[in-house]
Amino acid sequence: MEVAILFALIIGLLLLGVPIAIALGFSSMLFLLLLSDTSLASIAQTLFQAMAGHYTLLAIPFFILASSFMSTGGVAKRIIRFSIACVGHFHGGLAIAGVFACMMFAALSGSSPATVVAIGGIVIAGMVKVGYTKEFAAGVICNAGTLGILIPPSIVMVVYASSVDVSVGRMFLAGVIPGLMAGLMLMIAIYVIARVRKMPKGEFAGFGEILASGMEAGWGLFLIVIILGGIYGGIFTPTEAAAVAAVYSFFIATFIYRDMGPLAGKEKSTSFKNLLKNSPKYTLETIVYFIPALFHKDTRRTLFDAGKLTITLLFIIANALILKHVLTDEQIPQQITNAMLAAGLGPVMFLVVVNVILLIGGQFMEPSGLLVIVAPLVFPIAMELGIDPIHLGIIMVVNMEIGMITPPVGLNLFVTSGVAGMPMMSVVRAALPFLGVLFIFLIMVTYIPWLSTFLPNTFMGPEIILR
Amino acid sequence: MSSADHMESQGRLSRWVNSIEENGIALILGLMTMVTFINVILRYGFDTGIIWGLEATSFLFAWLVLFGMSYCVKVTAHIGVDALIAYFSPSLRRLVGLLAAAVCLAYAFLLFKGSWDFFANFVGLPGTTGSWFPTGLQTDFVNQTWYEGDDIPMPEFLRFLEPFLNDGEAYEKLPLLVPYMMLPIGVGLLLFRLIQATIRIYTGKANGLIASHEVEDALDDIAAARNEGVK
Repeated sequence: MEVAILFALIIGLLLLGVPIAIALGFSSMLFLLLLSDTSLASIAQTLFQAMAGHYTLLAIPFFILASSFMSTGGVAKRIIRFSIACVGHFHGGLAIAGVFACMMFAALSGSSPATVVAIGGIVIAGMVKVGYTKEFAAGVICNAGTLGILIPPSIVMVVYASSVDVSVGRMFLAGVIPGLMAGLMLMIAIYVIARVRKMPKGEFAGFGEILASGMEAGWGLFLIVIILGGIYGGIFTPTEAAAVAAVYSFFIATFIYRDMGPLAGKEKSTSFKNLLKNSPKYTLETIVYFIPALFHKDTRRTLFDAGKLTITLLFIIANALILKHVLTDEQIPQQITNAMLAAGLGPVMFLVVVNVILLIGGQFMEPSGLLVIVAPLVFPIAMELGIDPIHLGIIMVVNMEIGMITPPVGLNLFVTSGVAGMPMMSVVRAALPFLGVLFIFLIMVTYIPWLSTFLPNTFMGPEIILR
Repeated sequence: MSSADHMESQGRLSRWVNSIEENGIALILGLMTMVTFINVILRYGFDTGIIWGLEATSFLFAWLVLFGMSYCVKVTAHIGVDALIAYFSPSLRRLVGLLAAAVCLAYAFLLFKGSWDFFANFVGLPGTTGSWFPTGLQTDFVNQTWYEGDDIPMPEFLRFLEPFLNDGEAYEKLPLLVPYMMLPIGVGLLLFRLIQATIRIYTGKANGLIASHEVEDALDDIAAARNEGVK
């Protein structure tokens, strides 16, 4: 009963426009003060320890920083050029290239709205120019953008791993097959629609262009090799991998791509060959400008932007951890587990319930905050029912992904409507056919555990589940 | 409103404060990244490492969020749900905004009391009594000024603390009062910025406390660029 009031209070405060973090923190504080003998001092300590005591969460600011360095317009443009070179010559080629670009960008950034802004900002206008309708363009990008949280590295996965104590590396690896599959399904859907509606196709620019653009984009895309390779090779912990990725992105953006920093105005090499030829000059300039670049205003700006995003995100997570404290104190997860099991809930029904909760929650809430609250509630039940924890994590991520594009209030719908400059309702209509595709994908991911567990179990050995 | 237009209407002092806040956030994140990165390099390149690296990074991480949360109130960057209030009339929206602000103030006030109570004993001062409101000062408490961290050595420039906090004895490691100090400071600033935000809502200069998502600034830029194009 108390829990129902607690959650009603949180939702009420959210709808009044209280920041998510404070709605969670304030409600939890009231409950702790009323129902237990917890002191405000220990709540303050919980807030401090939310950051200082969770080594896994430390990966989040570094991933955000890496993607901030990579989110400059230049990297998105290079990725788009490469995608068009690869798949632009199919029917509906530019739309397929948009999906492909979103997939690659998702591998550099852990956030869906950021993917929509970076790729959509360029691709939607480009598609309209060659004769696609704006609705179709917006619908494609809106859906493909959600891959940001499914294709590793993903901030949401770090949060899940941290809150239920599974390995971040496993989660990342588990996201690979579903991520590729979702992208592929969207591409096939576009191809079919394009054949039916006779949409424009581009010219094949030749393997030379694929190679050239691939080399160019490769500097950025190598980031994913560092992160995944580093984690699975046992070279880094995920947190270290994220920090190395951040430094690598800084280096590439400043000294190779020269999109920012003291070298931004200087002559750029547009091809790999050119870069090789100029390598002595590049090396010299890198050494001369290395220290100034660290303190350059562009670097500071990027650090600040990433810091700001980290703060808003972690403030939510820290307060959600206070709520988690309330829930464990009151033994809510055990109670729910017992009630559900007593009601004879089987794995299939349980997963449907999880789907519904997250689809609704994912519309209103920032995904990481939602996960910190929901994961500890459903995790014990899932363990009782024998569901793989990694599989559960992927299901949760995919659900929130779809929550972001489910009308009426999906987050990605808002962002796309802003990026494309079209009313919300037209974006909703435009996104609907592809939303259908992702729904089928959700059902597949939910009921075929193999999709999520195959890679982690193959590369990291079978999961040992501790109760 | 983006932070830039916000600043134009303000004086030199607030620009100065703003640059301290923004550079502070950038500096903390920069340090965290450098320390972690250098530790990886040392481990593989030189088979050594900075032993206090991890502890320092963890404390800086807490500092980043505690120090920055007030700044995010100032520039309205905290994320919330505007699905419902977006449809309210301006006057109702102001009323609801004030209600939300009241909740935030209550939160910050309670947390401020908690932060002080937690921190005070680490500098040998009494915390407050009372579970909701400070009803008085502790008369009897355990002095925690001698609590030290695990790894970070005591920096020389903080030695001046020893005579009056540690009975003149030398600290071997960084005393915990240093990292914990950011708790009352950060929450105090949060309370201060929330009071300012409440006044802004009251006087009609702002209509809420929240951003609906993380890319609001980027969308503003795109919209501005589009309007330029139309003109």
